[in-house]
Amino acid sequence: MRDTFRGGVHPRDRKELSRKAALRVYDAKGEMVYPLAQHIGKPAKAIVKKGDPVLVGQCIGAADGFVSANVICSCSGTVKAVEKRRTISGAMQECIVVENDGQYTETGTFGTREDASAITNEEILRRVADAGIIGLGGAGFPTHVKLAPKNPLGIKYLIANGAECEPYITCNDQLMRGYAKEIVEGMEIVLRLFPNAEGVIAIENNKPEAIAAMQKAVAGHNRIRVLGLRTKYPQGGERSLIRVISGIDYPITKLPADVGCIVDNVGTIYAIGRAVLYREPLFRHVMTVTGEAVREPSNFIARDGTSFQELIEAAGGVKDGVEPAKIISGGPMMGIAVSTTEVPITKTTNAITVLSSDPVQKAELKMTPCLHCGRCTTVCPNGLMPQMMADAVAAGDYERYENKLYGLDCISCGSCTYICPAKRPLTQTFKQTKAEIMARKRAAAAGGTK
Amino acid sequence: MNRTLNLSAGPHIRDRWTTPFIMFVVLLALLPAAVVGVVVNWIHYHSLNALWIILASIGSAMLTELLFCLATRRKITVLDGSAAVTGMLLALSLSPSTPVYLPVIGSVFAILVVKCCFGGLGKNFINPALAARCFLLISFGNAMTQFPALDGMSSATPVAELAAGRAVNITSMFFGTANGVIGGSILALLVGGLILWGLDIIHGEICFSVIAGFTLFMGLFGGQGFDPKFLLAHLCGGGVVMGAFFMATDYTTSPVSRLGQLVYGCLIGVLGAVFRIFGHSADSFSYSIIIANLATPLIDRFIIPTPYAYRKSAIRKASGEKKIPLSQRIPKPVIALTVITLLAGVALSGVFTMTEDTIEAKKLEEKRQSYKVVCPDAATFEEIEAANAAIESLGGGVYGTNFGKSFINEALAGVDDAGNVVGYVLSVTNGNGYSGDIKLSIGLKADGTVNGISFTELNETPGKGSLAAEPAFMDQFNNRTVDAFVLNKDADNSIDSITGATITSSAVVNAVNAGLDFFHSVMQGGN
Repeated sequence: MRDTFRGGVHPRDRKELSRKAALRVYDAKGEMVYPLAQHIGKPAKAIVKKGDPVLVGQCIGAADGFVSANVICSCSGTVKAVEKRRTISGAMQECIVVENDGQYTETGTFGTREDASAITNEEILRRVADAGIIGLGGAGFPTHVKLAPKNPLGIKYLIANGAECEPYITCNDQLMRGYAKEIVEGMEIVLRLFPNAEGVIAIENNKPEAIAAMQKAVAGHNRIRVLGLRTKYPQGGERSLIRVISGIDYPITKLPADVGCIVDNVGTIYAIGRAVLYREPLFRHVMTVTGEAVREPSNFIARDGTSFQELIEAAGGVKDGVEPAKIISGGPMMGIAVSTTEVPITKTTNAITVLSSDPVQKAELKMTPCLHCGRCTTVCPNGLMPQMMADAVAAGDYERYENKLYGLDCISCGSCTYICPAKRPLTQTFKQTKAEIMARKRAAAAGGTK
Repeated sequence: MNRTLNLSAGPHIRDRWTTPFIMFVVLLALLPAAVVGVVVNWIHYHSLNALWIILASIGSAMLTELLFCLATRRKITVLDGSAAVTGMLLALSLSPSTPVYLPVIGSVFAILVVKCCFGGLGKNFINPALAARCFLLISFGNAMTQFPALDGMSSATPVAELAAGRAVNITSMFFGTANGVIGGSILALLVGGLILWGLDIIHGEICFSVIAGFTLFMGLFGGQGFDPKFLLAHLCGGGVVMGAFFMATDYTTSPVSRLGQLVYGCLIGVLGAVFRIFGHSADSFSYSIIIANLATPLIDRFIIPTPYAYRKSAIRKASGEKKIPLSQRIPKPVIALTVITLLAGVALSGVFTMTEDTIEAKKLEEKRQSYKVVCPDAATFEEIEAANAAIESLGGGVYGTNFGKSFINEALAGVDDAGNVVGYVLSVTNGNGYSGDIKLSIGLKADGTVNGISFTELNETPGKGSLAAEPAFMDQFNNRTVDAFVLNKDADNSIDSITGATITSSAVVNAVNAGLDFFHSVMQGGN
């Protein structure tokens, strides 16, 4: 089997900053903010109001419909407000604000291990949904939806994604090193839903300790194996993993389950294990606070709703004499730059990267016209032609973009922008164009139904 | 926190390679060729002209871009290095004896007209350096085709020599000491080109398909088969290597897709070979690249690679279908036919190889027999050095001006058992026959008296031209000592033509006359 996909780039991974930092639990001190839209799908509905007392593990936002997810309180205290607050995306969004009493009193409904064999498949799915688990890799797709495909018997591979190909981020590395057994337990539970599936734990080769730990944990297991992958971005992309493990390339119109694969982040698998065996809802998760500007890059088990500011300070704060130029929620390839540190982390925040200088700002000074060098086409993991796509967008030819060049299949991995010697903002252009085309389609569909 | 944070959409990091860096590496890759060019120029001619050309070309290219940017109030782009690369490429494609004002004119044309006027970097539709070179060739043809030589006279370049069918020194071409452009050292160009390929700066799809297309076409249609010496000589000359590695690979004017690049490369290679074989210009390779440059937008428009997920094999795999074995996808008769054809081909070529020697031997024997007929006293036939040299200098060309299309094939001395020269034989072909070539052997006594003639190839009209082989006609030549024969004159040297076959008669007489003339002027005159 090949150990990688076609294309891809090799950015400096900078994981050495934090890869040795063991996971630390960080309990927030200040107020906690819980956006109701942390996942893909419909935002949750607030089921608490100002003044209500809340406990750790309590559901405060209920899933609204099937493709939605519960929002869980991660502290104990009093609801201060249900109001619009600034979130990672920069927009003002409906949030539940809780005054943290610092006691962390739990609801008491979770924490005792149950016998896994007594739990039915329906119960597994219900517990995952109750726990408010969503894909922790970044996209935030509700996990109970993902685990209920149309064809559970047709699923051939359950892939635990421990590739962690984003530069800087090391929290899953630490999770796999410290909680290998728990991850395998989570795998076993999910594999019960898919009797014909083989479990594959995919890890990039730059994490030898994690590979060793996972290998030890799966030793003797006949349905789960560990697969070392070549270190290359975006190795941890869903499509890249499926390509490597099953050899299948599939278009944007299909889901992984359509080609017999389920991909979940190792963090998600861990959360599933906790949710099913201990009834523990998802209110905390692993994340990395790193970057050249941070004094002690760290890996935390942090509670959702904690502010960026608190976590950066928990990592020793910003180095003396250093002005952070850019703070990114997530890693530098696919992360989102934030305008202020007064925003809360959500379930999908796997890193806070504080950069002391902004490579984008420097790159913009070096921008030249496109040379047609073709680097973008060789790195695109989907075999698209970014340079032609950019030309089509510049010419306003959305028809060509969509149908001739398959521009909607762009996964926004950022490889083309990263590699471009002319420093063209390719990925950014495609993100906008895709949004524009989808908006037009929705408008056309809405017009058609009237 | 009161600081201002930068906001931008991801990705937030960038590769270190920039446009100027790439241009700088390309310049470095051209440096070995430039150094060899300058050093060779100095060692052979004690001239630094090559150096001045390079400096003038690069300098004027950069200055032109700077002035254009200033004049049009654009961002100063001269430091991105692309102008310097253009200047360098132009200089390396010029002869070291070119007057220095030519590269200056060329660079100004390349940058101002071809690059800046079409929108600058990344917008030019043909390679600026090549466009400038062709512009100079057309406008200053005389000055452009002057190449220095050791004796101070200008002489032909290896490609011109090749075109004339003469042998060239491949080794000197390879190392760059042959007559030619400044960047003529194949070794230095290959070093630079392969480094660029290794660094993934130029696309191997382009350079290697250019060379493959050129070699293949040259081998198939160049008339000398896949003779390595012949192919190497052509590959080493006339800018094939520089074109393949440095000119054709120009990003802007080459296709983006891999398949497109292969098509583009093959187009250049094949066009280059076509121009070499059928054309007369030694600079044809530049033109073939420019033509392919013009085809690039078309290639890019129509050759768009299908994303991995939409390829047929991927769709089949994704839908769970099993891969159909190759043997089942192709209809059985096709397989059977292919196998039969292949076997027949192998068998035929086997038979040919086995009989080839026999056929050759038989032909040789026939020739010998016809020599024997016209020079019966000789036991063996020996080569004559002066005659061989004269025939070689003809290079397969027509002999003389008064004998129609006559060709001297061979001239040998007939020697008896005692080692005495008893006569001479000449094999002459005349192309003015009524139907095809007439080939005959002429036997002469030592004093030039015709002993007799004998036809080895005669395809004239039966009953008319074919009568040339009858004694009534051909014996007329026997035992006559003349400088040349004439047809139907009342003279000592007259031959009566065949009734109704004047063309054949005159062709035969011309052939015999050519042989006599060759004998008198070369073989006898040399004695």
